[in-house]
Order: sequence, then structure tokens, then C-alpha cells
Amino acid sequence: MRRQTALNPSLVVLIAMAAVLATIGCSASASQPATVELLARAPEKGNWSPQTIEVEQGQKVTLVIRNVDAVTHGFYLPGLDLTAGEIKAGDVKEITFTPQVAGEYGFYCSVWCSDFHMHMRGKLIVR
Amino acid sequence: MDHRLLPTYVLVASCLTLSACGSSGEFSGDLVGTQRTVEVTARKFEYKPSVITVKEGETVVIKLASEDVTHGFYLDGYGEQTTIPPGDIKLVGFTANKTGRFAFRCSETCGHFHPYMIGHLRVLPNRKYYAGVSLVVLLGIGSLAYGRRRREKHRTHLFGVIPLDWRFELTKYRPIRALFKSRWFPLVFILLNFFVFVVILVAGFAGGFSAGNVNFGVMVVWILWWVLLMTIFVPVVGRFWCMACPFPLVGDWLQRGTLGSGGRQKSWGLNKKWPKRFRNLWPVTACFLLSTLFVGFFTVQPFATFVLLALIVIGAIVISLIYEKRTFCLYLCPVSGFQGLYSNFAACEVRVKDPDICKTHTPKTCYLGNEHGYGCPWMELPFDMNRNTYCGLCMECFKTCPHDNMAFNVRPFGTDLLAERRRTDELQNRRGLDEAFKSLTMIGILFAFFLTMQGPYGWLKDMVMAASLGGYGLFLGGYLLLNLGLIPVLFLVVSYLSKKASGNREVPLKKIFVDFSYCLVPLGVARWAAFSLGILLPNGSYLPRVFSDPFSRGWDLFGTAGYQWTPFLTGALPYLQLSLLFVGLAFSLEYGYRFANRIFTTEREATRGWIPMLLFIIALGVFFVWLFEG
Repeated sequence: MRRQTALNPSLVVLIAMAAVLATIGCSASASQPATVELLARAPEKGNWSPQTIEVEQGQKVTLVIRNVDAVTHGFYLPGLDLTAGEIKAGDVKEITFTPQVAGEYGFYCSVWCSDFHMHMRGKLIVR
Repeated sequence: MDHRLLPTYVLVASCLTLSACGSSGEFSGDLVGTQRTVEVTARKFEYKPSVITVKEGETVVIKLASEDVTHGFYLDGYGEQTTIPPGDIKLVGFTANKTGRFAFRCSETCGHFHPYMIGHLRVLPNRKYYAGVSLVVLLGIGSLAYGRRRREKHRTHLFGVIPLDWRFELTKYRPIRALFKSRWFPLVFILLNFFVFVVILVAGFAGGFSAGNVNFGVMVVWILWWVLLMTIFVPVVGRFWCMACPFPLVGDWLQRGTLGSGGRQKSWGLNKKWPKRFRNLWPVTACFLLSTLFVGFFTVQPFATFVLLALIVIGAIVISLIYEKRTFCLYLCPVSGFQGLYSNFAACEVRVKDPDICKTHTPKTCYLGNEHGYGCPWMELPFDMNRNTYCGLCMECFKTCPHDNMAFNVRPFGTDLLAERRRTDELQNRRGLDEAFKSLTMIGILFAFFLTMQGPYGWLKDMVMAASLGGYGLFLGGYLLLNLGLIPVLFLVVSYLSKKASGNREVPLKKIFVDFSYCLVPLGVARWAAFSLGILLPNGSYLPRVFSDPFSRGWDLFGTAGYQWTPFLTGALPYLQLSLLFVGLAFSLEYGYRFANRIFTTEREATRGWIPMLLFIIALGVFFVWLFEG
């Protein structure tokens, strides 16, 4: 007697796709208009990305800083007195603020992260 | 050579080894009164000095500074911990009241090789090490004295206690047999693993060049999977992983046209036969050795893990379309070789219950397949199988046997090592130089892995991770020379000495070389398990974090994302590792003496021929005790 267990091969493909979609889906839902993702990497590995962030004056902004590097970084924006403190490898930190004064503000890595640590800087432009 | 003096020679030789390895060397730092102050600088990925030697009872102060990025310091056994930001000097103080060798590890993620940034604190006298060496030597000499006083019972009983033919059939319980006969087993586990490996691949790709210790792919594959494989799966169950491995799933589906139902289906592939001269462990040994050349990348970098796994997945699919059945698993999968060889030591087996039933049963449905299942995908002949090397535990033979004549047995460890050739062995070259070489290369691979991942040498880590091309080239050259040249030649010399000592001129050197190589298997299994514990216990606590946040997106799926790095039981590590080594050594000696009796014709020849090999195994045991604790 032939036992046909109805297991469609496409089930395998479905499982695979579900996993991929779950990943993309979750990351997509996390991003909102006033949210800026900022990747932290040592200068020789790509530096802050993006290095220039543009935001609107008076609009609430959430900075999601992801350390995708293998060493500890930090985030410090002295002009608006913003700090995220230490961000260890693999960690994600969020800071929310509402810029009131237009202008250009520099931000820096606040943890000695490489020989080129001093070059790990970026610009926040408030229009 | 006078027989009665042999143990004395052994003892003298061992004492010389002991004193050579155990030389105390200089103490570190400055001693004022009973306080010893040592200045240590940390840089990627080493401490300078990397080995600190102090005396028992001293008050030790370690002044720590970092040369580059934020590092950490955690001392096994003592539990002292601190972080070292660059520009600061941190002090760690303790009383050295525990003797032995203790690793200190970086506790702040500082780069790719961070989990393996290690230094050694040696608190002398290193009693654990001396006790370990003495025990190895005593065990060796003891086995000789014991071996010469063997009674008839020792021929049939392991250590004179456990009958070699003792079997406990698990499948005599109906639910277990029903489970093994079900089409869903082990398919359900394969599908589950398939899902996990998709997550691993995504995590590896998404993780890119970030730190491995916070990456799901790197952690699950190299800390969890590898360690389970080495400590439980292979030593206890054999090719347990092959049973649940998701990599051949797509290939199986392409070949069979279905995943669920049994029977002979039309294959999409070419279904070619694998060349006869490569039906052995040579190709898998080469694949494994080749992949270990990149150990400095894929064990620490998410993207490298992704590339390696993707290559294996693609390889499995392509090969399944060209060659028949599980050719990829048998002859090309990098982890197949040591699983095959070492599963001969496992305490489980799939075997025929009653060979007489098979003699009269035609056609051989276990090999050809029928409507209930596929013919052995591993191209074994289940009705005549007597070794685990090529048995992937896929359980198809349970489904295809109409007489329920297959059994899953629990057995004494390592009985396959004694298995003789069988009638059908020409189909696959079983016991031979290929397996001997696999066994021998695993010594050098462990040595290199241990020094790289658990040793204090920053220069070696730089070489293995290819900080400079020249250094990497030097590593490749030295590594291949060690594995393909020095160790096999050393073993050949020992085999030659064994032949000379036995006084038997007829027995071929190749037979001695091959047959004796199997007594390295139990010690091999044990030292890999010991090595794996040294990876899991310090680094296992990164796992809760990656389970909760597999893609480093700041998720917290199970509420464990904030779990901090906490070394687990690292103070007990030396005892665990030494115990494993002793157990492995005991089995090696027990089986080795049996091999001697098979290789040589008379008992007298066997005892004499065994001496050089015994000395080699004792030396190997001492070497590993030194590597782990010296």
C-alpha cells in the first residue's frame, strides 16, 4: 500500500520565505518618517553612516543609533547637549529630541574606538 | 630488551618529559615583600605580557592599561573583572591562593577575535598539571601491567567489566520503533533545523562585518552547534547531526520529487555514481582541512559564516543533481569526515537484529528501497553493516525492512573500532589509510585551534586572521606541514619502531600504521570535547542575547537581550577537561592493546610491539595535559 503523506515541497520554500519576510517586515515597521537610522562604524570601516543628517526645525526626531562595528562607540552632539553614552558592539540606542534652532551641529564618537577615532564625526543640519 | 625493566624505562622517559614541560621559568613583575605587581597592556587581541607567572600565596596586583580600544579583564577561577578604557589605568588585586593555570579573558567586545583574546595566569606550583601528567603516566604504565596479567575475560570484556557484545535495543519499545518507521521522523527535525538555518544565513548576511559574539549566526553555529556536535552528538549518538541536518533537504527533494512519501521516484538529477577510488574519507578530509584554513574568518565574522554555509548549501544542491543519493554528505561535506570516524566511538548504532533473516530475504529492500521508504541514501548495505562510519542515521532502513529486523542499540563505547572487514566491504573502502589520516590530521587541527582560540599568543591570532598576508602564508605553510607532514611521519616512525620492537618481520608496516591509528580515536573524541567545553563555558552567555535579538535590530523577543556576558563554571574547566582526557586515554589504551594482539601473531610480539605505541600515546596524553593546563 502506498502511503502518501501530503507534504508539498513548496512548504520548504514557504518556510524560508516566511523567515526572510519576517525579518524585512519587522525592520520596515520600525522605521517612521521622523526616525533616522544612524550606523556607527570606525572611520576606516565606514564611519558614521549617514555622515550628514538633515532634520526639520521643530519636528520631533528619533535617532536610532546602531553599532554595527566590532568595538564600542559612543554618540555625543554637544551643540544640542545630546548624548547616547557608550554603545557597545551590536547594541542599538535611541535618542529623541526636537531641534528648535536652525543650524549645523557636529556630532562625535565619544569612546576611543580606533587609531582614527578623532575622524569619527558627522553633521546634523537643522533647517 | 628485558621485559621486567620495561615499566622502569617508561617511568624514566615520562619523568624526563615531565620535567621538560613543567619548567617554572621566571616570575612576572616586581615583588615587594609578598606583593607582586605586574603591568599589563591590552591591545587587539592580546595582553602583554600574555603569560603572568606568580607564586602561590602572593598578593598580586595587576595594573591594566589599553593601547587601542576599550578592553576588559576577567580572571577565570578568581572571578576578578574590570573594564579598561584607553587612557586609564585599572588595578586588579587578589591573593593567589589557588594554584594552576587560569585564563584571563577580554570582557568588552573589542573586535572580531574578542572572544578569543586570552592571557594565562600561572600560579605555581601548578599542582593540577603535575597531577595530570602523573596520572597519564600511571594510567599508561598501569595499563601495561594490567594488560600483561589479562585473563580470558579481558578478551571479551572492555576493561574486564563491560561485555563487548552487550547491546540494549531501544527499538524494542513499540513507540520508538513506530517513531523510527514514521515518514515524519526525522523529517520534522530537519524542517525545524531548516528554519533555524535560514535565520542563521539571514543573520550572517545582515551581520556583515560586525562582531561575531553578538551575531546569531556565528554564535549558534560556532559556539552552540559545534560544541554540541563535539561533546554530545558524535561521542554518544554518532552521526546524530546527519539525521537532523537541513543542508541536503533541497537535494533530497530534487532527487525524489517529494519530501513526504517513500518509494522510488524519478530523479531530476543525473544520478551518476561517485568515482570508486574516492569512495573513502580522503575527499572529506581534504574538504575539512581546506575549510579550517579559514578558521580565523568564519568563526568570528558573520559574513564569513554566511559564505561558508552558503557554499555548503549550494554544494549540496549541485552535487545532488549530478551524483546519486547522499554523495555530498558521504564524500564532500567538510564535517562528515570526523563525524564518520569518531562516530565509531559512539555508544549508539543502527544494526540488523537477526542476520539470518537477511540471508534469505530478497530483494534487499533496505538497499533498493520499496513503497515505504528509500534505499539507503548513504549507500550502506544495512543488512551487512558493522561500522558507524557511513551510517547517517536517516532511519530509512527501519521503514523499508518488511521484517522489522533493524535495531537501534545502545552499546559500549567504541566497539566499532574493533570491527573486522566484511564480505561486502569492496563496495566502500572501509578501514584504511584514509581513516588513519583523518585520525592523525585531527591532532594537528586541534593543536592549531586550541592555540588560536584558547592560547595566549596574539601573534598567532594575527596570523590566523590574516592581519598581514605574509603572516597568513606562514600560518598556512606551518599548519599544512604539521598536519600533512610532521604528524603522519612521526606516527610512521612510531609504527616502524613498533614493528622492530615486536620482532615480527612479516607484518606489513601499513597494517601497523592503519590499525594502530584507530586507538587514537577515543583520545581524539575526548580532546575535542575538552576543547569545546573551553569554548562554550566562557562564551555561552552570549547566546541568550542573540536569541532575543538575532539580527542586532534592538529587539527583545524573549526578554534576554540585556543578558550580560557571564563566564560559566570556568573555574571548574581544568577538572572537566582533565577528566575527559583521562577517560579518552583509558579507552585508547584499552583498545590499543587489543589492536596489538590483532596486528601481531603471538602475545609476546603484541606486548613488545605495543610498547612504542603506548609510549607515543602517553606522550600524546602528556602533551594535551600540557596544552590544556601546563
